[in-house]
Amino acid sequence: MSLRTRLRRIWRIARWEVSLGSTSLDRQTLLAGVALLLLAGGIAGAGLALGVDGLSPTQDIYRVGIDDDSPYYNVVADHAALSPQEPDREKLETGELDLIVAPAGNSGTVSLTVGGDDGEGVVEAGALGQSTVSVAHAPTEKGTAALTSFRAAVQGYNDRLMALEPNRTAAYPVSVRLQYRPQSSPTGARGGGSSETDAGSDDGTDTEGGDGAADDGSDGSNGGSDNDQSTDDDTNDGSTGDANLDVDDERDDPDVDNDDDSLLDGLLSGGNSQGSPAEISPPFPFSSLVLAFVFLVPMNFIIQAYGGTILNERINRRGELLLVAPIQRLDIVAGKTLPYLLAAVVAITGISLGVGGGLLSVAAVLPIALAFLASTFVGAMFARSFKELTFVTVTVSVFLTTYVFVPAIFTNVTPIALISPLTLVVMELQGEAVGLGGYVFATAPFFLGSTILFLLGVGVYREEDMFTQKPVPLKFLDAIDARLRGPKSVAVASALTIPFVFIGELLAIAALYVMPIEITVPLILVTIAAIEEVAKSIHIYAGIESDRFDRSIKTALLLGGLSGLGFFVGEKFTAIAQIVGLPELVLGQATLTPAGVTPATTLALFLGPLVLHTVTAAISALGARKDFRWYLVAMLAATLVHAAYNFAVVSAYV
Amino acid sequence: MSEQGVVERLRARLRSQRLTIAKRELQVLSREKTIVLALVIQLFVAGFSGFLVVGLVSLYDPGSVEGYGIDAAVTGEASDEMLAAMDDSDTLTGTEYDSRAAAFEAFDEGRAQAVFDTALREDRITVTLTAPEGSIETTLVVAESQEALRALERQQRTERAASLEVIPLDLPPDRGGNPYFDFTYTVLLPLLVFLPVFISGSIAVDSITEEVDRGTLELLRVAPVSLTQIVDGKALAMIILAPLQAMTWLALLSLNGVSVANGAWLFLLATAATVVVVAFAIGISLVASDRRSAQLLFSVGVLLLFAAASFLPGSPANTAALLAIDSATASTYAAVVGYLVAAVGAAAVVRWLTGQVDPNEL
Repeated sequence: MSLRTRLRRIWRIARWEVSLGSTSLDRQTLLAGVALLLLAGGIAGAGLALGVDGLSPTQDIYRVGIDDDSPYYNVVADHAALSPQEPDREKLETGELDLIVAPAGNSGTVSLTVGGDDGEGVVEAGALGQSTVSVAHAPTEKGTAALTSFRAAVQGYNDRLMALEPNRTAAYPVSVRLQYRPQSSPTGARGGGSSETDAGSDDGTDTEGGDGAADDGSDGSNGGSDNDQSTDDDTNDGSTGDANLDVDDERDDPDVDNDDDSLLDGLLSGGNSQGSPAEISPPFPFSSLVLAFVFLVPMNFIIQAYGGTILNERINRRGELLLVAPIQRLDIVAGKTLPYLLAAVVAITGISLGVGGGLLSVAAVLPIALAFLASTFVGAMFARSFKELTFVTVTVSVFLTTYVFVPAIFTNVTPIALISPLTLVVMELQGEAVGLGGYVFATAPFFLGSTILFLLGVGVYREEDMFTQKPVPLKFLDAIDARLRGPKSVAVASALTIPFVFIGELLAIAALYVMPIEITVPLILVTIAAIEEVAKSIHIYAGIESDRFDRSIKTALLLGGLSGLGFFVGEKFTAIAQIVGLPELVLGQATLTPAGVTPATTLALFLGPLVLHTVTAAISALGARKDFRWYLVAMLAATLVHAAYNFAVVSAYV
Repeated sequence: MSEQGVVERLRARLRSQRLTIAKRELQVLSREKTIVLALVIQLFVAGFSGFLVVGLVSLYDPGSVEGYGIDAAVTGEASDEMLAAMDDSDTLTGTEYDSRAAAFEAFDEGRAQAVFDTALREDRITVTLTAPEGSIETTLVVAESQEALRALERQQRTERAASLEVIPLDLPPDRGGNPYFDFTYTVLLPLLVFLPVFISGSIAVDSITEEVDRGTLELLRVAPVSLTQIVDGKALAMIILAPLQAMTWLALLSLNGVSVANGAWLFLLATAATVVVVAFAIGISLVASDRRSAQLLFSVGVLLLFAAASFLPGSPANTAALLAIDSATASTYAAVVGYLVAAVGAAAVVRWLTGQVDPNEL
């Protein structure tokens, strides 16, 4: 069959899918939708009409006792999280107030017992010099948090006051320019060399660009702002320093340029590097993060509809007609997926245009959309009812959203953030350059993982699986078995589990992170071992259960060995890819995968993981040839061996 | 009528078909192990949020890192003022350097993590702050330096108070309170309370549309029960489930050291929210033509209503936060009562609507 015919068929199925979807949106549903919109609008309108400054989930969470003639009254009243109350010291002790801002006169020392500890009474935070006001907070964590919040509120209030001042010099007596400069480790291994060039010469030896270029950049972007002068050559006596500063001008200025172009810059300017002390901000990409999150919102609706349509095929044998048609299963799935993928692309492109992102944002979010669709597809193939599908959809969106969003928070902190493609979006929105290596590193696991999930799902897109009510684990085994051919495919399957193993281990680390370190480290080592053992043996079990492989000891050992080998190769391949793609990640991966990816300096260290993986996989395979209970026992043993090895390696390194 | 008789009748009613249907719904869910999945999701959310809070706090709150200090190199004409401003800081220690070159040498050798290059220009102090690039410390260094610079700004403003029309207010001292203290209460807790509510509603939609879709509602109707009773039973199962899940998570949070106040009121709030959402879900699934549009309408609708409600005083998320953080006032409790009234109203409206629907046309 020619490719064109296939494409035409896919297209026809896609069009059919779209027409199905649009007829289901009938008049009654539309009316209900409009009614909903009106209701929601009415509620919001009523809130706005009442003059409530809503939208703050922190509204009034701290209660502050303050007289309404206090100079600080407006500070408290204007701040969303603070709610002004009658000042009454008794209430500070009973927990009815968190903070008191009162004239200093009535501040007697108070002592009371809280939680059995003496001397933990109301904490006097001290008098404020300007007026005769003193602050006291409740002896709780909430009390101190309230004080911190109050402090920030006073600061914000002062900033607003000063913004109204006619005398700009007196209102803003300090102007700051923030720049970043690479710093080597505190031991100064590299720092010594570079400091000498800095100190000794004034022609900027370690800079890539000359003074002129850098100054042009800063002048162009900040047009006329008076802070520029500090970077100009004629300002200060020491021209040595200028050479240093220019390095960063180049890096910083494109940033500013891009922000100026962005639509929402005025509302959400993040990573500011110039202005009064209040205006500079730490490199926390808050605004970019919020914008990046917007990309994820439409995915949830798309997968809901997509999961519905796939499961719909499986109810009352509706999909049988398509199955008996002379069309390949892959084409049916492709056709049914295409409209949703296109919808996702349209949504991503639209959002990208709206938030000031570019092609990179679209290219980075596309694999996320694919991952959403792929996992929903597999979920819908396994689910037995719409109820189950709803749980699957929620799970998929919670897991994927967390997995891509949380690392992006640390975009500017550590390169490990690149495990999430959303980090690329944040970087682009901040005007940072992203190399091809970074793009591949961030997106390849998603592309690969999505492909594997789709292949798994297509494997069970057949009559005997679609229209039967098998338990999910059995369906899962069926799906894996459908992909197995000969013993060699076992090795390939093991290697292909790597992206999922990677994701699973990361999630395990993140979830166990909060516990005390003495528990965390052993627990993580065991968990990682367990995840890898499951990945290496589950398909062997699937193959043996479906009688694809015989139950002899010889076969089990062969399969185990092949599986271990495949896993080892896959793991080494990712290790190499990581080192080539992102050199700075070496530290990160050592902490992330303590088992396999340790720096292999000697042959023994290189072969260690290979022996380990084959041996443990063989143990599991031996169990798998009996029954499920034996498989579990064998896998437990394999996990213990693996964990012991992990522990030995880690202890050797620490 | 004797009291005994009332109790007897009540018992008989409770043993009615509604309960049987509710029990069956719960059994189906537990057989599909979807409940387990729901619990895993929430455990995951709770675990990850803990990770996030710890991460954020250690990034931005140096107080949580024991014995952490930043050495700053100060140079230039306004060094004295800058150093004076750093005196208040616990984490930032300033050292004066004679020349810029010496300051940067200290920076490059790692003896200083920040360089404050100061200059006096046109009666202003200009500071060029240099922070390490791309290191885990960067955020912390910038945040702490910003504090020092703001202190400098305050000092300078005070000195120029004569030229100002309004004198800025004095700052209260910093006692190292956790600036992310409210995160757990205003984000995580409402999430854990209302996510089960949302899922319950979604399952209610499935439960009804699926019966219609598969044609099994006909079978159920052969039994001597009315459509209202069927819907009641299905709703009841969902209404029992969500608040219990929410409470489980609040209990886990408490075990984790987050004190959650007003547990009973939170339970009432979660129950009221579940009744409203489930009633809404059932209304939608009776009105909408098929499952797909019903689910879409439901999820978009609930999100819209939730967003719209946040414009109201006493929005659900804020009410939950205020209750849990123990800042509830009379109006907060009134809001909970309001939600309970709304729940009764919604249930009544949907039961009336169910009575109007002709089951044969579904």
